[in-house]
Amino acid sequence: MFEITRYEGRNRLKGSVYLSIGMALLAALVIWVYPSFSDALGGDELLEAYPQEMLQLFRIETMASLEGFLAFELYTFGWIILLGLYVAYSAAGVIADDVDRGRMDTLLAMPISRARLVAEKFAALSVPILVVNLLTPPAILLGAWLIDEPLSIADVLAAHLLSVPYLFACAGIGLLCSVVFDRVGIAQRVALGVTFALFLVESLLVGTDYEELGAIAPMRYYDPNEILLEGSYDLVGVAVLVAMTVVLLGVSQLVFRRSDL
Amino acid sequence: MAVIELEGLTKDYGEVVANDSLEFTVERGEIFGFLGPNGAGKTTTIRMLLGFISPTSGTARVLGEDVREERSLLEAKRRIGYLSDEPGFDEQQTGTDVLDLHASIKGDSRREELLELFDPPVERRIREYSQGNARKLGIVTAFMHDPDLVILDEPTNGLDPLMRQRFADFLRAERQRGVTVFFSSHNLSEVRRLCDRVGIIREGKLVTIEPVDALLRRSGKVIRIRSVDPIPIDALDLEGVHDLETSVSDGHEGTDPSTAFTECVFTFTGDINALLPRLADDELIDLAIEEAPLEDVFMRFYGGEDDV
Repeated sequence: MFEITRYEGRNRLKGSVYLSIGMALLAALVIWVYPSFSDALGGDELLEAYPQEMLQLFRIETMASLEGFLAFELYTFGWIILLGLYVAYSAAGVIADDVDRGRMDTLLAMPISRARLVAEKFAALSVPILVVNLLTPPAILLGAWLIDEPLSIADVLAAHLLSVPYLFACAGIGLLCSVVFDRVGIAQRVALGVTFALFLVESLLVGTDYEELGAIAPMRYYDPNEILLEGSYDLVGVAVLVAMTVVLLGVSQLVFRRSDL
Repeated sequence: MAVIELEGLTKDYGEVVANDSLEFTVERGEIFGFLGPNGAGKTTTIRMLLGFISPTSGTARVLGEDVREERSLLEAKRRIGYLSDEPGFDEQQTGTDVLDLHASIKGDSRREELLELFDPPVERRIREYSQGNARKLGIVTAFMHDPDLVILDEPTNGLDPLMRQRFADFLRAERQRGVTVFFSSHNLSEVRRLCDRVGIIREGKLVTIEPVDALLRRSGKVIRIRSVDPIPIDALDLEGVHDLETSVSDGHEGTDPSTAFTECVFTFTGDINALLPRLADDELIDLAIEEAPLEDVFMRFYGGEDDV
């Protein structure tokens, strides 16, 4: 068991470290600009200048604390949007790329079931998801300490830990695209489009009659503001994200088992 | 027990029937050639045998397992080796990485022996591989777990003549060990060198299935004769002489080329014992009896329009 996961996971390791370095640099940048930002504005005056939709889109609640600043500059932008799109895009290549490049026959000629292949390849995405969430928190905590704005270690760790099921759910969206489309380029574009559309649906429909539509978006169930500003962890949201992931994985396995390659 | 049994195996894509009710068996320990021009449906058959695509009707059994049942086919796959017509390996990985992955899933009891024989550059990354090197690596992956049945799709594409020879010798040795080989090809010389039996497929339909030597017998011999003195053309007036071409060489100006020859070539499907007495009294410079190119036979099946 897990031969494919080990193999693919190893192949993803290097890219995951580069990804983590990139995200740590983004974090460093956000933390570095924060002091001059808060000195110049001294509170939430800037927020009043923003249109409401903008605040809603980026889930900006406050800029008056480093926590609030990080919650939208780093976690909403970096984690919910960038990483969400990244894992959806990566997952979209998981099956379709092998089919597209003629590698799937070689894999499936081995005694391994299609369902297992899908599950193992999906599991290998835990490498980027976990590595980026292991390597960046120390950088963030260190940066906050350097600018003398200490953060709650527990809340920062929770923000990362709770992003893990969120990212898996995004990966699940990509995986489903990967088994539905056999051209990798299409699978990846659709995965990016769907993930971003879900983000918009969830963010922009809040407060409208269509708010309920956002319930299908993984973004609803991961809220960095809540974690960093209030220290409250939405475990029901975690359960929903896990359930979404399981369903997306299961449906992907079913689709792949039935498809002609 | 038959190693491969096709039972009305059909793949209908709507606008084209890639495989039309194929029905044949491959026995244990034989090398079976599956022949046809490009696009005849060979790869479709192979991909159904391995469960990559499912039949629209009919089925097949491989090592006794139904190809429509994933679970039972998995059991068979432990004992199957497969080489795709375009072996796809991860470009970023080295040959060793690829072999390690295969080894972890299906075993590699014969890896060293095969590496010695076919010698792909395993320390290099796949993206640097030539077509021939990828093929050599593919051969190693197909045989490394010591399978009972090997399915090869155009296995020698891209191999140089030396490697082709080595591969042919290797397959013959495998057959001696009881391994069954099913391979597709559009290369006729390869098939005649290796196969015990061949099935010929054209436009998705099985045209014929017979032992290679029967096929060769049907194709006849090419016979070339050169004589010192003119031989009357009547001497060759016997059953089984086709496409007779005659000529008269310099120095026999008095000879009428329509009634006699000093040089001739023809295809002969008759009894060689009936032919030789006809030449017994003539002084020959040369007599060559060669196997007719299999191409001629296939032209008959393919109606002389394809690229064999």
